[in-house]
Amino acid sequence: MGRSPSDLIVFIGKRLLQLVPVIFGVIVLTFFFTHLNVGNICNAWYPHAGEGTIKNCEASINQPILNQFATYLVNLVEGNWGQSQSGVLVYPYIASAVPATIELVLAALFLMVVVGIPLGVIAAQYSGRWGDHLVRIFYLSGWATPTYLGAVVAAVFLGPYLGLPTHGEYSTPTPPFPQVTHMSVLDAIIAGNLPYTVDAISHLILPATVLAFINMGIATRMTRASMLEVLPLDYVRSARMKGLTEFWVMYKHALRNALITTTTVLGVTAGGLLSGTVVVEEVFDWPGIGQYAYTAIGGGGSVPNYDGAIAVVIIFAIGVVVANLIADILYGVLDPRVEWR
Amino acid sequence: MTDPVLSVKNLSITYTVGAGTFQAVVDVSLDIQPGRVIGIVGETGCGKSTLAQAIPRLLPEPPASIGSGSITFRGTDLVKVTRRQMPMVRGTGIAMIFQEPLNSLNPSYRIFDQMVEAIQIRHYRELGIVKTFQGGDRPFDYSKRPTPDVASTLARPVLPGGAAEEEVRTRIMSRSEFREEVLKCLRLVRINDPETILNLYPHELSGGMRQRIMIAMALSEKPALLIADEPTSALDVTIQAQVLTLMKDLIDEVHASILFISHDLGVIAETADEVGVMYAGRVVEYGPVDEVFRSPRHPYTKMLLAAAPRKYKADGPLRSIPGNVPNLSRPPSGCRFHPRCPLARPVCKGENPPLAVVDPVVGDSPRGAHRSACYFPEEVPSMP
Repeated sequence: MGRSPSDLIVFIGKRLLQLVPVIFGVIVLTFFFTHLNVGNICNAWYPHAGEGTIKNCEASINQPILNQFATYLVNLVEGNWGQSQSGVLVYPYIASAVPATIELVLAALFLMVVVGIPLGVIAAQYSGRWGDHLVRIFYLSGWATPTYLGAVVAAVFLGPYLGLPTHGEYSTPTPPFPQVTHMSVLDAIIAGNLPYTVDAISHLILPATVLAFINMGIATRMTRASMLEVLPLDYVRSARMKGLTEFWVMYKHALRNALITTTTVLGVTAGGLLSGTVVVEEVFDWPGIGQYAYTAIGGGGSVPNYDGAIAVVIIFAIGVVVANLIADILYGVLDPRVEWR
Repeated sequence: MTDPVLSVKNLSITYTVGAGTFQAVVDVSLDIQPGRVIGIVGETGCGKSTLAQAIPRLLPEPPASIGSGSITFRGTDLVKVTRRQMPMVRGTGIAMIFQEPLNSLNPSYRIFDQMVEAIQIRHYRELGIVKTFQGGDRPFDYSKRPTPDVASTLARPVLPGGAAEEEVRTRIMSRSEFREEVLKCLRLVRINDPETILNLYPHELSGGMRQRIMIAMALSEKPALLIADEPTSALDVTIQAQVLTLMKDLIDEVHASILFISHDLGVIAETADEVGVMYAGRVVEYGPVDEVFRSPRHPYTKMLLAAAPRKYKADGPLRSIPGNVPNLSRPPSGCRFHPRCPLARPVCKGENPPLAVVDPVVGDSPRGAHRSACYFPEEVPSMP
């Protein structure tokens, strides 16, 4: 019927293939936006660099733009993503920063799912009554908080008050074990170091909570709306008629169907989460791609890093596309009426 | 006479929509004796489905609200039972088959997962693992096995094969035993290859198949009372006949007490022992099926029977009842049928006629069984 495991593999494979032109398009846009809109590109890119760098740069920009693009693509594939003005290579740094950001985003997503979705269920269950209004106040206050404000309030007041760390991934600058995955919690677990695992989780709590609190509204709202659509349906009534308690009726029968919409929307919010990391990571000194983006565009008085900024744009774009792909696949898996083809 | 399984007394239900209120059910009383099949007929909007859903308290409250009356199920007034306790009454207590088989199964779960839930609930209640229903003046504890004579008074249905199926289980069934139980229930509703059906999703099955599964699910709970709310109305005619035949066979096999709701007079005539005719929220006539259908004593019943199509072109053009079903937010005074009734006289506009006993005509029906809410029941047989 188009829903066997082999169909699923073909389905995912096809979606991954569709990803290739999308990512190529992203690279084309990024490249031409950054190479066409600046007058004297070399002075703009390397204001403090020496004579040699400027010469090299001018030699390359005097070539036809398509040749430049071809060179850029080859460099991109080879992992030669340029360097900052202090000589730090972009690619190795990004390769270690991306997992840290993924860890933060996944932790925020986890909180959004385990807190935001049940809140949506409660809001639907008590729709129009006090429970509903309280939940709405909660998620709207998150939605209305600017990221910088939420992050600073959490770092300055909440962290010290709750005794939670507000700085970095671990209490020491480098952990006493190899950072295999560059995800702080996962590395500590792989090393089998329990104190460091606890330490890493406690460092993760505040930034993830801020990120989740600010983006949670969409999960709660979508869950509430689709629950309200599902609850009057006949199968909810027949689940109730079996003698199931309200908890099982809500979370097993109604939510399972309401989740199909919520999942799709959560994929779309990945963009919001990623852009949120720029501020959150800087405030909490999280060594991820958001913090890298902040310094690359000259935030906090740092020297701008053009190569790094371009790389960040590409990485963020890929992140959004992949998140949507995952949501798309999950949609097919969650709804048995969707055929995998 | 034994105690009725279900006894509804003077039940009134109103819907509040915006500023208006609709009296969907007014002052309805009925008793269901163990093992009897009670039919309720009436037009769309006469309140029969509201009545059916009010018994297991499935109506959304608000907008619906039970104004007055009681619903006594096994000695407990369900009107007073709290929202928290209600799930314990459903399932093994009262099961229900719905009108819309297409939407009554959860599209996200396989048939097995949905059916096994019902069986698990019953099984855990029998073992006393999960909380069971206790309350009211005569608590019923599902974890205690009924003794044979109690079983007969409660009319606990048994699956074909009788007592052998009813062996006492003292440990939790394994997954394969649950599977066996589900298969047994699917075979009970004459599904040919239950093993394949188990792993399918509802959207892969036809309407008739889904309704059979709903019936199997309701019976698997071994309920004391089964409410069938227009189980065949949404199906096309050939499937309707199949499902109806199945239900008739099952009624004989399971000896359950059944409340059968339908707008189809033929369906009620074939299945029910007693029938209540509803019009605009009231029961206008009640009695043994043979009595009511052969010699109706309420003008509405008579005209409803005349309006039912029999055979193609056999008895001329179809007859209809002149006028419309009254607006339930402003029902007519007195007898609610009087604006459409050929026998109506001034007295009908005053007080609503009580459901009074009429003389039996057919066979050996006990006197008092046939009642009609009309001031002139003796004139009904001679109506044109």
